[in-house]
Amino acid sequence: MNAAEFASAGGAGNGRADAGAAGSGAFADYRLDPRFFDELFREDGTPRTSCRALGRALARIPAEELARMQDGVRRRFLHEGITFTVLGKEEASEHIIPIDCVPRLLTAAEWGHIEAGIKQRMRAVNLFLRDIYHEGRSLRDGVIPPDMVLGCPQYRVEMRGVRVPHDVYVAIGGTDVVRTDKGFAVLEDNMRVPSGVSYMLACRQATKRALPGLYREHRVREVSAYPERLYSTLVSLGSGTGTPRVAVLSPGRYNSAYYEHAFLAGEMGVDLVEGRDLVVHNAVVYARMASGLRRVDVIYRRIDDDFTDPVTFREDSMLGTAGLFHAYRAGNVVMANAPGTGVADDKAVYAFVPDIIRYFLGEEPVLANVDTHLCRSPDGLAFTLDNLQDLVVKEVGGSGGYGMLVGPQSTAPEREAYGARLRADPANFISQPVLALSRAACFVDGSLRPRHVDVRPFTLHGSDGQHVIPGGLCRVALQEGNLVVNSSQGGGCKDLWVLRR
Amino acid sequence: MLARTAANFYWMGRYVERTEHTARLLRHQLGGLVDTPAEEVALGWRVVYRTLGQSAPDAPADADEAEAFLVADAYTLAGTLVEDDTNPDSLVSCWGMARENAKQLRPQLPLRVWTGLNRGYLWLRDCEFPSVWRVGPAQLVSEGIDRLRLLAGVVHATMPRDDAWRFLELGRLVERFRHQTALLDNWDRLGCVRGEEPRLSWADLLRVCGAYEHYCRRHTMTVRRAGALDFMIRDPEAPRSLRFAVHGIEDLLLGIDPLGGRHPLAPPHRMALRLAALVEAGAGGPARVGAGGAGREPREKELFEQMGRDGDTLHELVMSAYVDYPVAEGLPA
Repeated sequence: MNAAEFASAGGAGNGRADAGAAGSGAFADYRLDPRFFDELFREDGTPRTSCRALGRALARIPAEELARMQDGVRRRFLHEGITFTVLGKEEASEHIIPIDCVPRLLTAAEWGHIEAGIKQRMRAVNLFLRDIYHEGRSLRDGVIPPDMVLGCPQYRVEMRGVRVPHDVYVAIGGTDVVRTDKGFAVLEDNMRVPSGVSYMLACRQATKRALPGLYREHRVREVSAYPERLYSTLVSLGSGTGTPRVAVLSPGRYNSAYYEHAFLAGEMGVDLVEGRDLVVHNAVVYARMASGLRRVDVIYRRIDDDFTDPVTFREDSMLGTAGLFHAYRAGNVVMANAPGTGVADDKAVYAFVPDIIRYFLGEEPVLANVDTHLCRSPDGLAFTLDNLQDLVVKEVGGSGGYGMLVGPQSTAPEREAYGARLRADPANFISQPVLALSRAACFVDGSLRPRHVDVRPFTLHGSDGQHVIPGGLCRVALQEGNLVVNSSQGGGCKDLWVLRR
Repeated sequence: MLARTAANFYWMGRYVERTEHTARLLRHQLGGLVDTPAEEVALGWRVVYRTLGQSAPDAPADADEAEAFLVADAYTLAGTLVEDDTNPDSLVSCWGMARENAKQLRPQLPLRVWTGLNRGYLWLRDCEFPSVWRVGPAQLVSEGIDRLRLLAGVVHATMPRDDAWRFLELGRLVERFRHQTALLDNWDRLGCVRGEEPRLSWADLLRVCGAYEHYCRRHTMTVRRAGALDFMIRDPEAPRSLRFAVHGIEDLLLGIDPLGGRHPLAPPHRMALRLAALVEAGAGGPARVGAGGAGREPREKELFEQMGRDGDTLHELVMSAYVDYPVAEGLPA
């Protein structure tokens, strides 16, 4: 239904054109759909209270000007090398993440709700991780099936009994939050090596340049302190006296998020190392400098557990450093996030996070989960197989939108093939309903149109407390009707403005 | 600084220098295509290809190198050195390698240095060589040189004079020394046959090296073999003289390893001193270049070959002293 139809049904108010109304003027192609919550407009086609100024401004900016802004951002990203790599696409190893210049707005109250929910979740997850690698109370008490945790490929038996500094297992987290007509919910936890924060900062820079007046007018909360906060979080995890020496450990320039690794290391003023740059001698980690070896105290690793140490984990890893885990166990180096945090990333464990919150914190979850069916249970498997065409099915250890089936957008042969995989290894899959993700205004194909979005806020958890950066990577499914927002699947991103009021 | 980072700066410097060197040779060669006799053009290509370590183009089995260049077409010869990304020494490959090294240096590299390098690479990569060839290929390499000069200016203006800058410049000067040695050797070897008139212009050699005006101001506009070679070896102020490169290398190594920092002196530093002595001796000592007249003498051949070998050894010593050293040697005392 076109928003003009909403308007004609009684939603129109005075000054609609000035305020920027869906279905008219600059928003002529902006079609509201009652199935989806719209971030900019109410159902009657008028802008939400917090978005009036944005609506007015967008209504005044000619389409050609918006196109110029988008092109300017694209060229700047290309020249500055703000790129990512798509796995398996050999023909184009470097991609520019598509940026939409139109910001998404959240009020202070909305953000407060999200922030409280994420902090609560992170606290509970850290307690849970400590528990499963030590006493295992939650397993004994039946909060979560023990075999699900102990059988999880991300469970690291080597971490049993290891004392993690300040009991901070997850120091850097990214939580994917969606909004549906029922409100905000957590879609995924990223507790291993969440990425995207550099694009959040790049989006902010781009939007500030493109819409400086509007930015000032909105009194938006700043996100630029993230690298400083990250550094102080990492330093807070170090032990001993003096300022610990921090390094960012990257798999190297062929990794999809290499730009981000380099960006963060540069912003923090620390070394960007690869496994081959580190040497372990007498259980102490050294970086190979031009002037000799120098000790490293804290490693912000952007590399999966499996690849960190070929002696302890995958022996075929060319990316890690032999003996690194030994140094970690000996307490001579801190790794953030700690090895073994992938259990909390697992999509089957995700289903139990509300129970984990209740068990460890004695609180009700602030943010809801999305309904999740575990295919490891016969009922869950039967339900999933019977409703494949209506569900989203994911691998429990998957990420980046790889290896998932979006039922309504799949063909019968695809569903058949996926069903066979499900039957062969049910415990490796979960299913969720297709979410009616909210939509935000985007400049696509020369005009303003609504597109589905989510947001990934980033949380830092050190011995100095928790910090949720007021913003996030707002991901957009740029193709009409598409619900997959991952950049690796053709999604783009936009800035998220968290208002002070 | 991380050892790998030092190596990246060093290689970035080498590749940027190699790109500019290739572009300079090509600018001269392509600029002369319009009005130069075919034999001279072919000789010019031989100098370019030999200096860059490229093999001669395919030719009939009974043809020698000179004939191979005489029958080869300029479009293919130039294209191989400009746009052929399967040739590791082409402009686009060298620029791409400089960029790959720079990509790993993002945390240390000023943004403007990266964007200058990246934009230049994207510009060259996206150039349509066939169209460029129709309107004037010399313009393409001239613009490439301008972009590289601009990049050098940005480096000069924005980078602090720390080890990052030192390794970058060290790479440039080691590469310059190697290439200039090869250029002087091949120009002299192919352009100068004992008892004959020079087949290549010595003034052109100075032009390729960007030293012609400087030479004229310092000496005379009549350029002869002995003067040109001597100038390009020993002049302390010409940026492409061997002496300039060697003294620069010595200063940079002194910055990386200050005197007294190591006992004995670091091996690269010792080699730089040896090279300096060789250059000085080549200029004024028993092996003085060109002293024997117009023709090339065996000792000059030996001098250039010795310089080439020592240049390679210097590179290996830099790598083993600062990048690939044994762990036991690097442990803190």
